[in-house]
Amino acid sequence: MSFEEISHTADVKIRARAPTLEALFSETFKALMQVMYGATRSGGIVREITVESPDNESLLADFLSEVLFVSEVEGLVFADARISMNGSRLTAELTGEPFDPVRHSGGSEVKGISYSGLSISHDANGYMLDIIFDV
Amino acid sequence: MLEGVNRVGLHEWEIPVGYVAGMRVPGRIFLSESLGKTLEAGAVQQLANVATLPGILKHSLAMPDIHWGYGFPIGGVAAFSVDEGVISPGGVGFDINCGVRLLTTPLPYKDVSGRRDLIEELFRAVPTGVGAKSALKVSVRSLEGMMAQGAQWAVRAGYGVERDLMRCEEGGFMKTADSRAVSDKAKQRGIPQGGTLGSGNHFLEVQVVREIFNPDAAKAFGLTLGQVCCMIHCGSRGLGHQVCTDHIKTLESATKKYHITIPDRQLACAPITSPEGMAYFGAMAAAANYAWANRQMITHTTRQVFAKMFRIEYDEMPLMYDVAHNVAKFEEHIVDGNRMKVCVHRKGATRSFGPGAVDLPSDLSSIGQPVIIPGSMGTSSYILRGTQTAMERTFGSTCHGAGRIMSRTQAKKMKSGREIVADLLKENIIVRAHSENAIADEAPEVYKSSDEVVNVVHEVGLSRLVARLSPLGVIKG
Repeated sequence: MSFEEISHTADVKIRARAPTLEALFSETFKALMQVMYGATRSGGIVREITVESPDNESLLADFLSEVLFVSEVEGLVFADARISMNGSRLTAELTGEPFDPVRHSGGSEVKGISYSGLSISHDANGYMLDIIFDV
Repeated sequence: MLEGVNRVGLHEWEIPVGYVAGMRVPGRIFLSESLGKTLEAGAVQQLANVATLPGILKHSLAMPDIHWGYGFPIGGVAAFSVDEGVISPGGVGFDINCGVRLLTTPLPYKDVSGRRDLIEELFRAVPTGVGAKSALKVSVRSLEGMMAQGAQWAVRAGYGVERDLMRCEEGGFMKTADSRAVSDKAKQRGIPQGGTLGSGNHFLEVQVVREIFNPDAAKAFGLTLGQVCCMIHCGSRGLGHQVCTDHIKTLESATKKYHITIPDRQLACAPITSPEGMAYFGAMAAAANYAWANRQMITHTTRQVFAKMFRIEYDEMPLMYDVAHNVAKFEEHIVDGNRMKVCVHRKGATRSFGPGAVDLPSDLSSIGQPVIIPGSMGTSSYILRGTQTAMERTFGSTCHGAGRIMSRTQAKKMKSGREIVADLLKENIIVRAHSENAIADEAPEVYKSSDEVVNVVHEVGLSRLVARLSPLGVIKG
């Protein structure tokens, strides 16, 4: 399982790989949190998110958009996500901590999750995706 | 120049119909040959994609700061027939009414140069960066005011003077806003962020007027050589981002419902006159108004800081002008010899209305609309004026900035934030930000030369040079 930032002129492009779809979503979620708040994040506070969408790409975009919302309005920085998927429904248990300006100011605010170029592919090695975060 | 992009004039290039399947009109890019060397195939593809949307008029246009975005390219402009056209959040972006304004001051360069205490005080007073919350309390009722009446709400609430409204595009608010189309989630995000700058390329910069190209226009705009000014660049914060996110979802369904074929999901759209299209337009206008109110609140804080530190009066800092550069609007333009109402999308592009245009304050009517083009950190910003050429060629539009040419990953490998701060300090530019990371992302070298971008629009006549400003100090997210 991994994610990396790929060169993109205007925004942040992430490439993630994982053996399962759930793990792929979890990696992309971690990439999002790292872009926004840097690498030093820990758990403690738990939040649950549920989204329903017709296809995997929408499910991922909706999940990450919901993370952006909860993170911003509750002032929480998340470290980990335990994701379960059932057809068009995704449930995620997020663990995180309150935003700390000293430790979490290293990143860029993500304005939105773009559908441009978003595709989830699958081969013998597992799942892969490219996704663009608007910063 | 990239294959398939044909020269049709000095600084003018055409993407012919057929470049991607389904194009209804050609694409047009205003670009110098040397800027063309950094043109990305992805940006051209996006420009061509826009040309496939129903009801697009004349051309899918791009300004010289064009670069690869999502949906529309950054620097993209397209106008749509109200009867047959569509409206798309992909033509506006997540940061609805991201825009820029310039405040003038009565202070000369020598009073402000090297004043780190001013930059520190601005940094303390104006919330910046990820997670920042405003000290100016916004109630639920105030939020409604921000969405309905934008900068007018802010001025009436004590965050400015009446004259400020005369110096804002649209008078500081779009009358068509419909806050009922703004979700509770978006409103929740809007309440704590009124008066905050945000992060990324948003900034507040203290500048000095270094050069005047057009004395008459400069005088009309209130600019003099050696004068200190203050530029504010930010948008609609989480509220605008949420409006875009929410409505892309409903417009995706609408795209299917109305049998519209789109080449990129981020171009999800609906007929302008459909309930879904009008709902997005109403919500987008409410978010645009929030952004105007936000910039007005930051203006208020900035004026208070200057008034206190330099013993000047609050109203000695007139607003020169405020422009939006991510927005969709109904405007009247001439198409095939007929004046008609169209829906203009500007995604990283600035309105550039020429002399005599409606919506210009009477004292600027003979000059044209002030156009503000921020430079990248450490480089010059420009003031231009709108032109008749822009009205004829680009639905009254021009460029919005320098335009990135280097990714954040490349930028970080090149120079650290600390090195950039030290380099800029050698040029007497003071930089203050929450993180070195934010500075490294926005190094001057990652952008096209703003001088060259502005020269193209000046030479083509999409806007004409009035003045050049250079930075003295900047605060960032």
